Amino acid sequence: MNRGVGIWRCVKCGAGFFPQRLLCARCHGDAFAPDRMYEAAVEEVSVIRHMLGQTDWQPRRLASVRTSDGQRITVGLTDASQPGTTIELFEDGTAPFGKGKS
Amino acid sequence: MYANAAIIGVGQSAYTRRPEPGQSTVTFIRDAVVAALKDAAIDARDIDGLAVASFSLAPDAAVDLAWKLGLSLRWLIQDTNGGSSAMNMLGHALRGVEAGAASAILVVGGDATGLGGYAKVAANFNTVTQLHLAPLGHGGPNGVYALVTSRQMKKYGLAKSDYGQLAIAQRAWAAHNPFAVYRTPMTMDEYLAAPLVADPLSRYDCVPVVAGAQAIIVAHPDRSPRGRTGVRVRAHRASFNYDNQEGDGLATGISTFASELWQEAGVRPDDIEVASIYDDYPTMVLAQLNDLGMIAGNDLQRFARHAIGERRFPLNTWGGMLSAGQPGGPAGGLNGISEAVLQLQHRAGGRQAKDARLAVATGYGMTMYRYGGTAAAAVLERVE
Repeated sequence: MNRGVGIWRCVKCGAGFFPQRLLCARCHGDAFAPDRMYEAAVEEVSVIRHMLGQTDWQPRRLASVRTSDGQRITVGLTDASQPGTTIELFEDGTAPFGKGKS
Repeated sequence: MYANAAIIGVGQSAYTRRPEPGQSTVTFIRDAVVAALKDAAIDARDIDGLAVASFSLAPDAAVDLAWKLGLSLRWLIQDTNGGSSAMNMLGHALRGVEAGAASAILVVGGDATGLGGYAKVAANFNTVTQLHLAPLGHGGPNGVYALVTSRQMKKYGLAKSDYGQLAIAQRAWAAHNPFAVYRTPMTMDEYLAAPLVADPLSRYDCVPVVAGAQAIIVAHPDRSPRGRTGVRVRAHRASFNYDNQEGDGLATGISTFASELWQEAGVRPDDIEVASIYDDYPTMVLAQLNDLGMIAGNDLQRFARHAIGERRFPLNTWGGMLSAGQPGGPAGGLNGISEAVLQLQHRAGGRQAKDARLAVATGYGMTMYRYGGTAAAAVLERVE
């Protein structure tokens, strides 16, 4: 687990992106510097109750969140955080997750 | 306006939730091709162009399909744009015939992934899905569009039952479609009682995956079967990666070209008498109709309750994919095009929209991350 979620920031114009891009969508610059976002606001939440091809699936919470820098990211929620709350972001491998601020 | 290219025949295979041993993507495609050739009254030897889209054709490619179908060609494409592949291939085929690159183009889509195979497609849809969504257990497109649906409900003040109006109306149309996998009428109580799949989406909001294929044939209108009313495409437009996935997904790529589409077609949204709107989820049907300017005052709630709930507007009259089934996005999109053709030729049987002369059909797909990134639409006209 890593604290925060990695984003890619355009060296030329400063715009931040998640997921990674090849060229900046704003200025088409081709160089990015890594950055991290640590907090986000929860906008929408779903509970995934059924998964195709799975018979013993346990429900999982999914959320669309907006980082403090403006990126909209889909995260797994590990607690009962609701829309309108602020969460802490963390990564498990390449997967972004969030939970209520402690 | 396409004066020298038209859809001259349509055909489909059987649709089934569970393919039998011996049935595969290519056998469904074969059945659809045979039906389309028969409908167009054209010999396979006259086909000199092929467009194909499928999630499950690999490792074969378009030329392998041409070989297996015994088609020697001078025009060939394979489209990978999911739910807008069908509409995209239609545009390429119309331009191909108009330009003289081919004289008769077979456009086909089909899939037979099975439910387990579809789950693999959904988890490996692109690298972003593999890296950032599938490890969350995101539920494939159901999870993605659950979040979009919540957003749409909040923005437009929609209730769960408003989506039910679309699912129920389409089920009523499906009763008249012998190819539809679900034809039993559905009540609002049944819709609302269905188990949740990904909140707020429940079973009848999620398109059922089926095995099957659909085909159309594009050629000069003079090659239409004798005595059959022609169908002309008045305008066609497409959009790809319209907003870099940075919006809310409630506007689709259609919003970037709708005004051009209507201008080229020379008609207005309220002239349309029947519509085939790509319906992987009711949410996206409302979004596309709104982008097309077919929902007065952007009042999605009123449209769902009155235009659809009171059966004032013929929408997805083959039952849509929600009731007829989705044989992969590509063939699902061809269903909507084919239905528009049948409606305009007044060949839709018990589901015929009275005196239909103008139709719109759309495609929408490729859930790249937060929503679909491709969209396309065409305005079709009955030619007396």
